Amino acid sequence: METPQASGQEFRTQEILLNMGPQHPSTHGVLRVEVVTDGEIIKAAYPDLGYLHRCFEKHAENREYLQVLPFCDRLDYVAAMNQELGFCLALEKLLEVQIPERAQAVRVVVSELQRIASHLLAVGTYSIDIGGFTPMLYAFRDREHILSIFEELSGARLLYNYIRPGGVLRDLSRGLEDKIKEFCRYFKPQLQEFDELLSGNKIFVERTANVGMISPEMAIAYGLSGVNLRGSGVNWDLRKERPYSGYEKYDFKSVVGANDVGQVGDCWNRYHCRVREMFESIKIIEQALAQIQPGDTMAKVAKAVKPTGEVYMETECPRGNLGYYIVADGSKKPYRVKVKSPGFISISCFDELTSGMMLADIVAFIGSLDFVMGEVDR
Amino acid sequence: MSGQQPISEFKQYFQNIREAVVSVSKGMGITMRTFLKVNGLRKQLGGYEYGAGPVTVSYPEVKDNIPLHSRNRLFNHVEGCIACNQCAVICPVECITIDSRKKTPEENPDERTPAAFGSKPKKLKLLRFEIDEALCCFCGLCTEVCPTESIVHTPEFEYSKYDRDKLMYNYLSFKDDNPLPKV
Repeated sequence: METPQASGQEFRTQEILLNMGPQHPSTHGVLRVEVVTDGEIIKAAYPDLGYLHRCFEKHAENREYLQVLPFCDRLDYVAAMNQELGFCLALEKLLEVQIPERAQAVRVVVSELQRIASHLLAVGTYSIDIGGFTPMLYAFRDREHILSIFEELSGARLLYNYIRPGGVLRDLSRGLEDKIKEFCRYFKPQLQEFDELLSGNKIFVERTANVGMISPEMAIAYGLSGVNLRGSGVNWDLRKERPYSGYEKYDFKSVVGANDVGQVGDCWNRYHCRVREMFESIKIIEQALAQIQPGDTMAKVAKAVKPTGEVYMETECPRGNLGYYIVADGSKKPYRVKVKSPGFISISCFDELTSGMMLADIVAFIGSLDFVMGEVDR
Repeated sequence: MSGQQPISEFKQYFQNIREAVVSVSKGMGITMRTFLKVNGLRKQLGGYEYGAGPVTVSYPEVKDNIPLHSRNRLFNHVEGCIACNQCAVICPVECITIDSRKKTPEENPDERTPAAFGSKPKKLKLLRFEIDEALCCFCGLCTEVCPTESIVHTPEFEYSKYDRDKLMYNYLSFKDDNPLPKV
């Protein structure tokens, strides 16, 4: 057959605007991406946000501090404990309350358990994005145990409203402590098995290694945080750098991407940082439960607090550094609550990183950033 | 998979196949092991007791154990309610509506709540106590502020209705096709 050039005609290609989402299984929520493609190569990608916007910040201005807490759960609904912790720490910083030792330890235990649950969901659904169905089932099986523990602890499976300004709602019972210890013993070999199953899998590695490279400079320039930043080789973990809630007492490593399978900053490294971070979380939980002392779990905090001043508090959430900025004017309700969400920043680097990428890789890239739209849109 | 010394394309081709076969068979081995474990065979071989056996609950036939303090549908014991309105005030989504008025001398103003609800004086007559269960966000704040512990979250979660209006529960004349939740 004659090629167009040979026949004297000019070979013309056309850019196609492809609509991905909002109801797309791999966009992890309701993210819509307008992808401009030239054949299989992406020219540009514009994320379209706002499908899950629920006016969190405006709602918070019209509710008392305690009433804002259930809404914080609903920001990042797969890591609700960490979202609560951030808000409570911010409020406590504003009120200058001393939190009892036991309450701090319980907070560390629940937020690390939540980190494991959230990372399990992230890597499980990531394996589905890549095309592996089984690892997701294993991840959800183990996540289920954590949710049962939380249900017994707080009464809810997903949106706990457990961490309160001044402490925690209910004390960790002896039976539950043993149950968490038993879970850690059970979970370590299971996670090793999961690591074996997925991380070294040839198909998985081919799809994710050297794909979606974020250089350390670029990650810092965009302001990425959490695993996405550490996957790029920047060692920045708020639990280490600015310890809160007694994290300085525990011995753990902050996990950084390595050059073994892929390169630092690719999708595989971001994925594998999550897996390795779960091992570190187990370490923290085991230490916290070994050191925990009986005592109060609630400091004396008035029901309707009336703080004044402004405060910014950042915590290390499973998805990055979540910051709460609260302006208080001495009334029962906050004057302004601003949330700095890590997912929003992850999405902002979309256009620059996806241009030049293959269309099939964008799914792997979205999955590796691991954002939750509830937190992005707020 | 790059970074090693350059190898010929031909060699790479077969190495890829080898790696794929090895990793897939490794995965199959793990799947097989889990299959045996779930079916209880591995238990005798020293498997982990925690999480042995299937995790899935065949829901409508088999029901999971739900903790007694789990936060599902709200229920208000009218005999214990003193109409203090605290639950309606603290609710972040305003799903509780309470109307009350002062009791007249004929209406026994010295009445107290039963001992199970703390024997608190009931000075107000409750005219309306409605909870819009469709709005409830299950945060549990109302149950914590209740001075007589009359409003509680029950473990009951199977109360879906075809009509949204039917999720409006009036606890003064509690009529429901579901049996009363156990407390």
